Amino acid sequence: MNSQSAPTAEIELDLIAAAQRGDRQAFGELVRRHREGVINVVYRMCGDTHLAEDAAQEAFIRAWQHLHSYRPRSPFRNWVYRIATNVALDVLRKERETVDIDPLPLASSEKGPEIAVEEHQRGQRVRQAVLALPPASRTVLVLREYEGLSYREIADTLDIPIGTVMSRLNYARNRLRDLLACHRNGPEE
Amino acid sequence: MTEHVTAWLDAYHDGELRGRQLRRVEAHLAHCATCRAELERRRALAALLQESPPARDVTPPDRFVAQVGLRLPRRPAQPAWRRALEIGWRLAPLGILGAWAFVQAVFLVAGLATIALNLGLGGDLVAGWMTAPHAGPGLAELFSTPDAGLSDVARAVRLVWEGGERWGLSLTLYLASMAAIGLLYGSWLASWWARRQSHTQ
Repeated sequence: MNSQSAPTAEIELDLIAAAQRGDRQAFGELVRRHREGVINVVYRMCGDTHLAEDAAQEAFIRAWQHLHSYRPRSPFRNWVYRIATNVALDVLRKERETVDIDPLPLASSEKGPEIAVEEHQRGQRVRQAVLALPPASRTVLVLREYEGLSYREIADTLDIPIGTVMSRLNYARNRLRDLLACHRNGPEE
Repeated sequence: MTEHVTAWLDAYHDGELRGRQLRRVEAHLAHCATCRAELERRRALAALLQESPPARDVTPPDRFVAQVGLRLPRRPAQPAWRRALEIGWRLAPLGILGAWAFVQAVFLVAGLATIALNLGLGGDLVAGWMTAPHAGPGLAELFSTPDAGLSDVARAVRLVWEGGERWGLSLTLYLASMAAIGLLYGSWLASWWARRQSHTQ
């Protein structure tokens, strides 16, 4: 497709229209564009990278099967995120007893190894705290904090009222503060 | 003293407030240390949340896309009635063109037949079709024979023809059929444009 001057949204609409007619290459391009966001949404909700990749693939397959029902009233990204959050919730229900949270890799820090360890531990604590939230609140928090969706977009994606978005987000943030405060005030300090 | 705006701090922090509500919260924050401290806690939490890194790339992007492609069913699922409707809609211009061609052919043949009859050519053929089975007048005598000597069909044709000649019925029919075909085509064009607009919005 040679349309570099066309806005990204228009290119994406062309890809969607082609995919709705059965063009697998066009759908592949859509997968490529939204792969990272979908994997991250599921990863933030599940905490396991391999599970997140499998679930992300499942989400894209469901998207392909229901592509005929997509209407351009809302961004394609939000429509795919809706499918991805449903898949993630299904995974959590199924794997409730067996999901192991990935240990985070120890990334190097320019400030030195001690700082790297501290950053690593902080990142681990934050991730565990997010995963300790109830799924409904966790979903809203992930879409807001990590994907930057507006309240209206979250409401449309999850098919819930804006008031519910605000109350779940408020609960999630207050709960996170309590969980992270517990970690800060824990025995190691 | 105004009430605290704690309930609105999330929305304020997320840039979701507008107009009067935004001004009210900002005015309150200007002189309320409690709410400012609460807002600062929200900002600190947001910064802390970003310290949790995203998923590591286990499968390279190209391979991920290829894996999804291999798992896709043959076609996106679409109900049969929807597929039929889609095909019918796409073939509609052909059908309209066919209808136009048919109407043109009918009036062309009718016009040629009229000319032929006026010149006295092929009258027997048409007369044979229009007269009663037991025998009756030929076409040349159709318009001079009294009603009693004609078949029902011939009487009907003479009535229509004589009336039509007075009112230009054949011309009216032609124009009406052209208008109907034009209307059909215009409707299809409008639906095509509306679909295009809904895809680009």
